[in-house]
Amino acid sequence: MRRFIVRRVAALAATLLFVSVLVFVVVRILPGDPALIILGTEASPEAAARLREAMGLDRPVPVQYLEWIGRALAGDLGRSIQYDVPVGALILSRLPVTLPLTCMAGGLMILAAIPLGVFAATKQRRWGDYLAMTLSQVGVAVPGFWAGLLLVLLFSVRLGWFQSGGFDGWSQGALPALKSLLLPAVALGLFQFAVLARTTRSAVLEVLREEYVKTARAKGVAERAVLFRHTLRNAMIPVLTVAGVQLGQLMAGSIILESVFYLPGLGRLALGAITARDLPVVQGVVLFVASVIVTINVAVDILYGLLDPRIRYE
Amino acid sequence: MSLRRVMVALVLTLAAVVAEAPAARAQQQAGTLVVQVTAEPPGLDMTASPATAIQTTIHYNVQENLVKLDKHGKLVPWLAERWYTTDNLNYTFFLKKGVRFHNGRETRAEDVKFVLERAMNPETKHPHRARYLGITSIIVKDDYTVTLTLKAIDSNFLLTMSRPGSVIYPREAVDSLKTAPVGTGPFVVSEWVRGDRLVLARNKDYHVKGLPHLDRIVYRFIPDPNSALAALRAGDIDVSPFGIGPENAPDLKKDPRFQVITGDTTNDVILAMNNAKAPFSDKRVRLAVTHAINKEEVLKGAMFGYGKILGSNVDPLNPYFVDMSKEKPYDPARAKKLLAEAGFPNGFDAVLKVAPQYYYTVRTGEVVVGQLAKVGIRVKIEQIEWGQWLGRVYCLPPCTTPEYDLTIIGHGEPWDINNYANPKYYFRWDNAEFQKLFKASEATLEDKKRQELYAKMQKTLADEAPVVWLYMHPRLVAAKKGVTGLWRDLPAMALDLSEVTWQK
Repeated sequence: MRRFIVRRVAALAATLLFVSVLVFVVVRILPGDPALIILGTEASPEAAARLREAMGLDRPVPVQYLEWIGRALAGDLGRSIQYDVPVGALILSRLPVTLPLTCMAGGLMILAAIPLGVFAATKQRRWGDYLAMTLSQVGVAVPGFWAGLLLVLLFSVRLGWFQSGGFDGWSQGALPALKSLLLPAVALGLFQFAVLARTTRSAVLEVLREEYVKTARAKGVAERAVLFRHTLRNAMIPVLTVAGVQLGQLMAGSIILESVFYLPGLGRLALGAITARDLPVVQGVVLFVASVIVTINVAVDILYGLLDPRIRYE
Repeated sequence: MSLRRVMVALVLTLAAVVAEAPAARAQQQAGTLVVQVTAEPPGLDMTASPATAIQTTIHYNVQENLVKLDKHGKLVPWLAERWYTTDNLNYTFFLKKGVRFHNGRETRAEDVKFVLERAMNPETKHPHRARYLGITSIIVKDDYTVTLTLKAIDSNFLLTMSRPGSVIYPREAVDSLKTAPVGTGPFVVSEWVRGDRLVLARNKDYHVKGLPHLDRIVYRFIPDPNSALAALRAGDIDVSPFGIGPENAPDLKKDPRFQVITGDTTNDVILAMNNAKAPFSDKRVRLAVTHAINKEEVLKGAMFGYGKILGSNVDPLNPYFVDMSKEKPYDPARAKKLLAEAGFPNGFDAVLKVAPQYYYTVRTGEVVVGQLAKVGIRVKIEQIEWGQWLGRVYCLPPCTTPEYDLTIIGHGEPWDINNYANPKYYFRWDNAEFQKLFKASEATLEDKKRQELYAKMQKTLADEAPVVWLYMHPRLVAAKKGVTGLWRDLPAMALDLSEVTWQK
């Protein structure tokens, strides 16, 4: 088990290194000179040259990369050009929005998708199954930003139960804060919920066809016990794989929903930084999100090992 | 935990969250105005960045000038209660007494000197430094009197003094300009939650008696127009000064809870042609393009009929505006004839580059392309990112040759006819006659003569057709009923909220 974990963690470090190079290069080959975008339509050549120098853009890209990664390893991600504050502090200040949003979306997704998938599998080819699968089909088909707008139209404009967007912070207490994140979380989780529900259904169906389930039933084990004791644990492996990937996607998906609900989270920070060519912020956020996603994936891999001893020895 | 228990817990949590709902919606307070702005300001320093997001929030609300451009587009005395000049080279400004900065200190002539010298200093990176370089000396006569001397007569000098980059701020607060600017305005910067909101609070010591009416302004940064509309309908914002697209105006007008204010702006939307490039270097081709466009239809198709048709560069808010909209009318037969004369009886191919960051450019482009096709000009629309547009079409340095045939963009700056006198501008239009007229207008101060020169310039532009002036972008403000005192027109980028109040 230890060797397994060490190998996974080494792969994690290699992936992150690759991501850091990729981000750095992509950000630099984007069309549009950062100095010009920052200075706007009235930039003079001297001002642009001065700004390029101040941003270090006049030096060779490999040199710029080494400097950046060296400082990043020491925990310093540079300073935001737009806001003139450290990038690390900026990312931390956006986490109280994005982290709970992603967790809420992920929680809602898992709590709704797994029971629904299991339910659909037990009612295969009956009304319950059709209903559940229609629901998830809709979830797959509807884009998150549109679902968000529909939710706002219904729950804020028509019913007035929720605010239409914005985040008032945690200072007013946890309940109002969570409330302001609920609609975005639902909209964000909808697609992934639908995918996970379908995955769960087919995973459960597959296990239900196994010999040992037949044996259990033949022995006269109650259907409930067959389902929960014999089927679910084994069906969880593919479900866990998908859910792990999805948690990462949720974080990435927050970019769009934070704009729809004008939440001051990481996604909006990234989007604003890209439009303003605030390169240190773009690099910092992408590296951060990539680290989170890769870490989740490694955690999932290790969890497999716990769930299914066979995986460790591969 | 069994599945059932999990479900029950989930339902209970949701119920608790929903039950808590009504409190947040009752927050609207009499003295507070929640205003939507599309972009968050990149810092709050107008002497460091020309970003319009800073001007909309800070200019006139937090920081003010010696001279102010009022709601009718007129220059009026402001921090200077009067000025005089006998030769138009030496301007003496007399400051209003008893004006206090937000930090409590009185505004003095010394501050004017400091601010202008700082703008001229290359070290401070003022975005419009060139505008101040004509000032040769700044002499402080006493605490309330300052004399500025110019190298040459500059008819736009007072306008420059009213611009966002000329605001008066105290020397001791120069380091906080970017995050918490200090000024003399009706409101004080009270809180800036990055990414979420900017809050201004009433300046109790404001130098104009009885103003401002509001206690608090909350700017919320909502980039998506659909979200802004939903926020307005849900009651989360009170005013959307720019964010409501024209397609939503008819519906909002019908809704008794809202008002839609339509007004004028200085934003001229044009179809620019690359005059340095064939076939647009041929005046006949440019005129053909002009005659091929049905502006009436463009306005209907792209802006739902809001806005005004233009025929030359000066905008309707400018005192020298002459209505040229009928000058080169829609006439496809004439367009075809001109094309044939220029050697293109079967038309030609061209590319129209637009930046979707400004939605109206794409919509306008779609209508224009259809109209040009009818006279045989086959245009392909190419959408490019704003950064690319600035670098390649607008051709900011290091670019030396603009790379485009046609483009659509709104020019928002007031008094921007000088662009046509600049052969290096991205239109690349080099016309000696016009340049002479413009030079004369700059050195002429007598109003009537200047007006004549401006009329001539507008006529020359219409005849030479360096670009096609399509329409003035409308000002469409959506607000809750009961909000009064908003400016109808927008003669500058500032959004002055000092007179805004809630009607009882």
